[in-house]
Amino acid sequence: MSQAAIRILIVDDELAIRRALRPPLLELGFQVAEASRGEEALQLLRAGGYDAVLLDINMPGIGGIETLRRIRSFAPRLPVLMLTVRDQEEDKVAALDLGADDYVTKPFSMRELIARIRTAVRRVRAPERAEDAPITIGEIHLDPVKRVVTKRSEPVHLTRKEFDILHCLMSRAGRVVTYAKLLTAVWGADCREEVEYLRTFVRQLRKKIEDDASAPIYLLTDVYVGYRFADAQSFQDEPTEALPGEIG
Amino acid sequence: MASSYISGRHLWGSRVRLTRGIRAVLFALESALGVLAVLLLASLTHWTGWLLPVAFLLYLMIVVPTALWCGFWQALIVSLSAVLVHGIVISRQPEMKLASDPVNSITFLAFVLVSLLVSRLSARVTENARQAEHRGEQMRDLYEFTRRTLQLNLHVEPGAQLADLIHDIFGLEAVAVFDADLHRVYQAGYWTQDPLELAQNVYYFETNDDDLESGLGRRVVRLGAAPVGSLVVRGETGPLTNNAIASLIAMTFDRYRAFANESRIETERRTEQLRATVLDSLAHAYKTPLTAIRAASTGLAEMGKLSPGQAELVGLIDEQTAVLNELTTRLLTTARLDGGEVKIKAQPVSVGTLLEEVLASLRDRLAAMKVALELADDEMIMSCERQLIVMLLTQYIDNACKYSIYGTTITVRAERGKAETILSVHSFGPVIPMADRERIFDRYYRSATLANRAPGTGIGLSVAKRVALLHGGYVWVTSDEQEGTTFYASIPDERQKGIGE
Repeated sequence: MSQAAIRILIVDDELAIRRALRPPLLELGFQVAEASRGEEALQLLRAGGYDAVLLDINMPGIGGIETLRRIRSFAPRLPVLMLTVRDQEEDKVAALDLGADDYVTKPFSMRELIARIRTAVRRVRAPERAEDAPITIGEIHLDPVKRVVTKRSEPVHLTRKEFDILHCLMSRAGRVVTYAKLLTAVWGADCREEVEYLRTFVRQLRKKIEDDASAPIYLLTDVYVGYRFADAQSFQDEPTEALPGEIG
Repeated sequence: MASSYISGRHLWGSRVRLTRGIRAVLFALESALGVLAVLLLASLTHWTGWLLPVAFLLYLMIVVPTALWCGFWQALIVSLSAVLVHGIVISRQPEMKLASDPVNSITFLAFVLVSLLVSRLSARVTENARQAEHRGEQMRDLYEFTRRTLQLNLHVEPGAQLADLIHDIFGLEAVAVFDADLHRVYQAGYWTQDPLELAQNVYYFETNDDDLESGLGRRVVRLGAAPVGSLVVRGETGPLTNNAIASLIAMTFDRYRAFANESRIETERRTEQLRATVLDSLAHAYKTPLTAIRAASTGLAEMGKLSPGQAELVGLIDEQTAVLNELTTRLLTTARLDGGEVKIKAQPVSVGTLLEEVLASLRDRLAAMKVALELADDEMIMSCERQLIVMLLTQYIDNACKYSIYGTTITVRAERGKAETILSVHSFGPVIPMADRERIFDRYYRSATLANRAPGTGIGLSVAKRVALLHGGYVWVTSDEQEGTTFYASIPDERQKGIGE
C-alpha cells in the first residue's frame, strides 16, 4: 500500500492540534489538508480527493456529529475518524452509530492515530471480502461456514451466540463495535439495551479464547462504548501494544 | 417602621397613672360640683316651697350619680352638704317646723348607705371594664408583637430587634433580652442596674417571677425544655404577657438559627457548585494543550531520526503528559460527581465482568503488580450504576498500587452480605494510623505521616466515598501490620432513600 496516496483532511477548531498533527503526517508520507469548521470541511470534501477525515467531535458551528451526518449523505464509504475526549462516551457511540469508522481519545499518540488511519483506509481499499470467508487473526481462526473456531489449531467450543458475537467482532477486526450494534447483530434490535447480558457473554467468550481472561489481547473492551477485536495487523510485525515514544 | 404602631397603652396608661396633685384637684372639683348642685337644688326648693317634701329624693338624684361617677368620698361630702343645706332651708321655712335632729341624721345615714352601695357597685364595674380593656390591650400588643417578630430581618441577630420591639409595643420602661447561644445581652429603655448581669442571672439561675414591688418581670426563654436565653422587663405587663413574650422570643431565636443554618448550607452548596464548574472548565481547557503536546511528542517519535538522547527526552515528555492527563481526568471526575445533583441509575450489574473491566482498564498500571481476583460467586449480580462503581474500584486499586510493598499481591474481592455487596481491595503496605482512617476519605486530606505519603492529590478516596454514599452505601478501611490494609465499600441491594443526597 502506497502511503503517498493517502490524503487526509484534519477538521479541528484548535490550531494547536492541527499544527501538531501536520508535520508528522507529512513526514510519514501523508498528504494533509486542514479545516477549522464542519462547514468548511464539507465544502472541501464535496470537491473530493480525500482518503480519510480526522473529525473533531466538539467544534463550534454545526459540530462534529452533524458534519459526520452530512458527510455520510454524500460519501458513505469515506473513512472518518472522530477525535474525542474521554467524557464524551455518548457522543462517541452516536458518531459510531452514524457511521464513523473509529475514534481516538484525546490526548492520543501519533502511533495510535496513524494505525487507526491505516486500518480504516486499508479496509476501504481492500477488495470486498466474502461474508463467509474464513478469518484468521493471531492464533484464532474462524470459519463462518463450518461454524468452527480454532486456537493454535485446537478447536474451541463455543455456544451459538458466542460464535455469533465472535464472528461479528472478527469480521470487523480492528474496529470498535458498539454494544448496541453487537446486540442488534446477534440478538436483534429488541435487545439493543441489554449491555449487561452482552458483558456476561463476552466474559465467557474471553475465558475460552484468551490465555488470560483478565488481560485480554484479542477481545478488547472500549470502555463505555463497545468491543473491538484486535487488528490482524497488530499480530504481524509489532508487539500488541508498543508504548508510545519507545521507538527510536 | 417602629413608630407605625402606637400602643393604646400610652393613652390609657396616662389616665391611670395620674399624679397625686391632679387627683386631689379632681377630687375637690367633683365635690365642689356636687355641693353646687345641692345648693342650686336647695334654692329651688326654697323658692318653690312645694318641692320641699320631696327634697330628699331630689338630693338623692345628686348623690347617686356622684357616687356612680366620682366615688364614695365625693358622694359623702355631697350627702353631708345636702343634709346641712336642707336643715338650713327647713329652719328658714316658718310653716314647716317638723325638722328635727333624728330625721336629719337618719336621712344622712340613708344617703351614706346609698352612696356606699352605688360607689362600690360602680367601682367594681369600672374595674372590670378597666381590666377587660387592659387584657384587650395586651392581646392587641401581643398580636402586634407576634406579627412584627415574623417580619424580623433574620439576616442579623434578632436580639436587639426583639428588645426594641418589646420596649416599643408594650410601652415598658426597660427591656433586656439575653441570647445564650450568641452569649449577648440586648437592651432597650433605661436600666438603673446592669441589665447584662440581671439577664444572665435569670438564665443561669432559671428564675421565673414577677416582682410587683420593683415592677420587674423575669423569664427564662426556653425552646422545648432547653433554656436558650432570658427576658427581663420593667414596667406594666402581666405575668401571662411576659410568658407569651418569652415564648415568642424563643421561637424567633429558633427561626434565626434555622435561617442562618439554611443560608450557610446554601452558601456551601453554591461554593461547591462553583468549584465544580471551575474545575470542569479548567480540566477541559487543559485537554487541548495536552493533546497538542502529546501529538507533537509522539509525532516526533514516529518520524524517527532521533538520537537516543532525543528519543529519551521525547519519551519523557510523553510520559509526563500522560501523568498530567490522568490528573486532569481525575479532576473532571470529581467535578462531575460534586457538581450539582448526581442521579443514580442503578441497574443489575454482573460483578465478575465489572471487576474484570476495572482490571483491564488498569492493565498498564498493574503490569508490575501481582493481582488476585476473588469472586465469591461467579454469577454474582449487584445493583449499581456501573460507571460509578468502576470509578470507586479504580480508586481503591490505584491507591493499593501506590502504597503496596513491591512484590506483594493486591487482592480484589467481592462478597455477598445480607442485603449488600461488599467490594474490597487488600494490599500490604504501611499501616494507616487510627486517626487517619476516617479522614483519608475526606477530600484533600493527606496523611501527615511521611511513611504514608505517595504521589497524589488526595482526591481519589473522597470520590470512592461519594460513590458509595450515592448508592446509599458506605466505605471503611482496616489496617494492621499482620493483616495488611483493606479498603471496603458496601453497596446495598436496594438503594436506601434519602441517604447520601
